[in-house]
Amino acid sequence: MIERKPNNYTINRKIRKSMLAYIIIASLLSTALLYSFSHSSNLQSNYKQFYAFAQAQNLSLSNLIKEGQPHQGSNTAPVTLIDFSDLQCPECKRFVGNTEPQINSTYVQAGKVALIFEHLPNRGFDSLPAALAAQCTNDQGKFWQYYNLLYKNQGPIDSGWASKDNLKKFASQVPGLDIQKFNSCFDSQKYKPFVESNLALAHSLGFTQTPSFVIVKSDGSNPQQLLGPQPFPEFKAMIDKELGVNS
Amino acid sequence: MNLSKTGKRCESITGLKTTIPLAFKMVFPNPVYIAIAAGVFTTFWIIFNVFDQLLFFSPVVTFYLPDDALAGFIITNITSALMGILVAMNVYVIRNSKIKLDSSLFSGSILGIASSACASCSSIGFLIISTLGGFGILATDFLTNYQTPLRLVSIAILLWALYSVHNKIIKPCIFTLPNNKATKNYNFITSWARAATRKRRKYVI
Repeated sequence: MIERKPNNYTINRKIRKSMLAYIIIASLLSTALLYSFSHSSNLQSNYKQFYAFAQAQNLSLSNLIKEGQPHQGSNTAPVTLIDFSDLQCPECKRFVGNTEPQINSTYVQAGKVALIFEHLPNRGFDSLPAALAAQCTNDQGKFWQYYNLLYKNQGPIDSGWASKDNLKKFASQVPGLDIQKFNSCFDSQKYKPFVESNLALAHSLGFTQTPSFVIVKSDGSNPQQLLGPQPFPEFKAMIDKELGVNS
Repeated sequence: MNLSKTGKRCESITGLKTTIPLAFKMVFPNPVYIAIAAGVFTTFWIIFNVFDQLLFFSPVVTFYLPDDALAGFIITNITSALMGILVAMNVYVIRNSKIKLDSSLFSGSILGIASSACASCSSIGFLIISTLGGFGILATDFLTNYQTPLRLVSIAILLWALYSVHNKIIKPCIFTLPNNKATKNYNFITSWARAATRKRRKYVI
């Protein structure tokens, strides 16, 4: 076996290469780490800002219902859960499939929590039409049927599953929905300013990811935020805190 | 012809069965490399699960794995583990030889991170959309809708990187060519080495 002793030039190159590789690996790791941790620490540092914005907005249940936000549960429920979602978002579907039924059976059916939906259509080109269509069904009190139907049939983002024709087709599958009224509302984009105001509210609260939630007392006081499709125990802890229940 | 091809294939499989464990045995008895692998694995495990919205830091640290996220979770675990092993092995190669780092480690890692980062409905996806507008929507759509195939491609690239780095570890007899250019062609190196050895013997005789 022939062995060659490395000269100074080779050693220097080797050190330089090692340094470069270490720097690349370290910067890759630190960037990723920094993002994940700064994201969560930013949320905490921005909490005061969120609190101030949320207090400034009138997030009382009566006001939200008056504005025409889709809602379910008792109008006198002591706590309100406001869900900022995009009908095209897969994580929102995860929330609707896993956590929402538990919230519904534990708190909404019991009259303790009212669930409010706010549109945050920011995932794709078809998100806004889907939000407009859903809001049009709310005119006829069919929002939640349409909402469940859309999540049940959700496909990949902007793949055409939420095209205008498909949205009309889904509307025709909702029992009792006047399709002519729906088409007229949807084609005229009646609720575009409404959906845009929802979007502006979400941005003013600092929400960019979907789903995002605000848990607030029915008079709009003591708002708390919850980000992402978190499991039921997280919602339970926050709702119980608002209800003044020691869990 | 066919027989010889099959024979070659069998030989290479038998070779991998012995050479990959050998490469592991060379690198991982050292606790420094175990620590590097564990650190990289943990870091990427956290990153992937935060991006996939399975790990939450607020209001309390929560990990949540619903049924629909199971396949993605398994794939990201494999990716994180491969990244940990590969970074440790590459550090070993850098410290013990004069060979360049394999670019497939970086391409595999970057693809793995990108397919996770933009895919979810997370704020990083929104950041891309708000920065790049319509093009950003198209990019995040692509990365979201093809998340699983992209992650599988990233695993394939990382496996290739593993094969490549294990070759570098178990073949320590690598010569620097006279014109000082490193070569990746092992056959060329070995034939050059054989010729050199023959020449040497000739002089000895």
